Amino acid sequence: MSAMVQVVLMAWNALMRNKVQTLLAMLGVMVGVGALVTSMALGKGAQEAIKDQLLAAGANMIIINSGNYQVERAGAGGSPADHASIIKPLSPRLRTAQWLPNPISNHSGIKLYRTHFEDDPMAEHDHPIASERLGDAMAGLGAAATLSLDDARAIREQLDGIEFVASGVHENARVAIAKTPEKQWFTRLHGTESQLPVIRSGWVFPYGRFLTQSQVRSAEQVMVLGKVVADRLFGENVNPVGEVLTLWNQEFTVVGVVASRSWASQPAAGDDQFDAVYIPVTTVHSLLNLSKLNTITVTTASAGETTIIAKQIEDLLRVRHGITEQMPDDFMVRTQSAQLLGKGLAPDVARIVAGNLESIEALTIEQLAASLQRANRTMLALLAGVAAVSLLVGGIGVMNLLLLSVTQRTREVGLRMAMGARSRDIASQFVIEAIVLSVVGGLVGITVGALISESLEQLFAWSTDVSLLSMVIAIVVAALLGTVASVYPAHRAAQLNPIGALNHE
Amino acid sequence: MSVISLKGIKKIYQLGDNTVHALRGVSLDIEEGEFVAITGPSGSGKSTMMHILGCLDSPSEGEYLLNGKDVSNLPPQELADIRNRQIGFVFQGFNLLPRTSAVENVELPLLYSRPVMPNGERHNRAVAALTSMGLADRLDHHPSQLSGGQQQRVAIARALVNHPSLILADEPTGNLDSKTSIEVMRLLQELREKQGITIVLITHEPEIAAYGTRIISVRDGVIISDEKNIPRSVDILEDLPPIAAASGY
Repeated sequence: MSAMVQVVLMAWNALMRNKVQTLLAMLGVMVGVGALVTSMALGKGAQEAIKDQLLAAGANMIIINSGNYQVERAGAGGSPADHASIIKPLSPRLRTAQWLPNPISNHSGIKLYRTHFEDDPMAEHDHPIASERLGDAMAGLGAAATLSLDDARAIREQLDGIEFVASGVHENARVAIAKTPEKQWFTRLHGTESQLPVIRSGWVFPYGRFLTQSQVRSAEQVMVLGKVVADRLFGENVNPVGEVLTLWNQEFTVVGVVASRSWASQPAAGDDQFDAVYIPVTTVHSLLNLSKLNTITVTTASAGETTIIAKQIEDLLRVRHGITEQMPDDFMVRTQSAQLLGKGLAPDVARIVAGNLESIEALTIEQLAASLQRANRTMLALLAGVAAVSLLVGGIGVMNLLLLSVTQRTREVGLRMAMGARSRDIASQFVIEAIVLSVVGGLVGITVGALISESLEQLFAWSTDVSLLSMVIAIVVAALLGTVASVYPAHRAAQLNPIGALNHE
Repeated sequence: MSVISLKGIKKIYQLGDNTVHALRGVSLDIEEGEFVAITGPSGSGKSTMMHILGCLDSPSEGEYLLNGKDVSNLPPQELADIRNRQIGFVFQGFNLLPRTSAVENVELPLLYSRPVMPNGERHNRAVAALTSMGLADRLDHHPSQLSGGQQQRVAIARALVNHPSLILADEPTGNLDSKTSIEVMRLLQELREKQGITIVLITHEPEIAAYGTRIISVRDGVIISDEKNIPRSVDILEDLPPIAAASGY
């Protein structure tokens, strides 16, 4: 080991006898390796960004919407009001059984009907029927609020393989700064729970934090702003945490700002995630005197189980909502999908979305991923070309230095030979010097490449990722470069005749 | 047993169309502890003789026994090992590595020792060799920081560091002023007297050759004279005025 250190030190000393030439040759290697590291970092970063994007889009996410507008499209009639068309014709026996006003008494003596269509003008109901509810033609169809916090709890507690569950109420709302009410912004309002950021893996919090569990439990009047809202109300790069906003004539304290981690989905006005404010779902319920939810967002522990769990959720909710076989769901379970396999996506990106078969969002994610991947490939090809040319030039620089060095040090070679150095010793001396030169240049190159990658990320918000593997690759490439570049000069040195070399002036 | 035994050594070069007979049959025995000065004008073949004696070159014909071993037809790698273990070179131009400390210069032959010598031992032997040359306080000096005489002493230390059986000195005083030349010759004499080291000195200056115990004159590739010599004493010269010393007598 110490012999190795000694050899390297000797090579270094020999190199340092020609500082300027050595540094120039090193510069060549440094540029090449730097370009290599940068291109690998950008390639890896772009892949990570696509991965993030897909995760943020929710490869393992199941969204349960209350109401079921999907059946309207599936139905033959096509008209939103034509609900009868989607109800499968019942057998006469069942029809009789269901349509006869044959109430069942439960133990508390309340008359219950096993099933009832709300649009049956003859039916009696123990709750407000669809026509009595605002904006609702038929219970469970269209945009009805049919989900409850209890449903969310049931999903959380009764099903396996669930990672997080967040309930949501979604409204449009006008928020204004309490001190200066003329500063206001009309935006999306999400009543939600503390676990939402875990589900939205693409989120970061430039200021403050998301709602806490205790804030949700005690229905506090706190608010997290989407970055667009924060920018519009307070200006960019202003920390609004602690400011007070008004919503529904109530005061809310800002506790955080949410922004996007990925360059691929920058916050924009009008989007649902960042042009939005988040408050505890419990606060929405207590202030508006509501009990229903618009959505329940679920993530599964494994992306591959999404389809199965979506089915289980469907079954659970059908039971909980008392929906019989013939009735359509009064909710809608969506999974983000993944028919992206084999369509030009990187394998690990495809793996993330694998296992999810159905989705209405698949097309957009697929298009996004494919176009990102295409742009990414073009950029990588360009950078790889730059890196290859730089490495070639760097290698020529090293070879040039060594050839010069062999000429300048002919007497030294002769002397070493007179002292007993074999031609192999002479050759290995030049090869080692070249490797030391290239590896040192390569190390500097890695540092420079990492700095360039970091500044690209800072300045242009490009995703970069300098991995350990890329550094190892860079060092190996540098060492190989040195070795290859030194073969010819080392051979020339080794072939020198000791007498001629000693008398060389 | 002779340290060196040459029998009918010939060396023929082919320079373009010309055939150069550098050595035309040299036979010679050098015993242990001799201080042999080989003299002759340029083109006499003394340099070629030195290259063959130093195992830097192989003879075209004849037999060369070094310490009883025939080295006339060895492959280059084995010649390198023999140079490393048995011969110490002292060159005219010192041939020290620039921007390299005295110790590292002296360590140079030890780098090529087989088996590989540990760092510590290498360093210690280099320091010991420099100390014996009176350079203990110059270990980390670079050649440019040393006087000509000091540089040549570093070169001699380097020649001695591997404990060779033979020192080959090729015009060792060629680049030195007369006073320093005398110092170096005195040093070589002491090596012979105190350590019994065999020395072969190549020079074209008769006054330098006079320090040897035996003087061999070469001309046109053959030995024209081979005589015992009473080595010139440095002590007498030191009393002479500098000009006289410079002219030699």
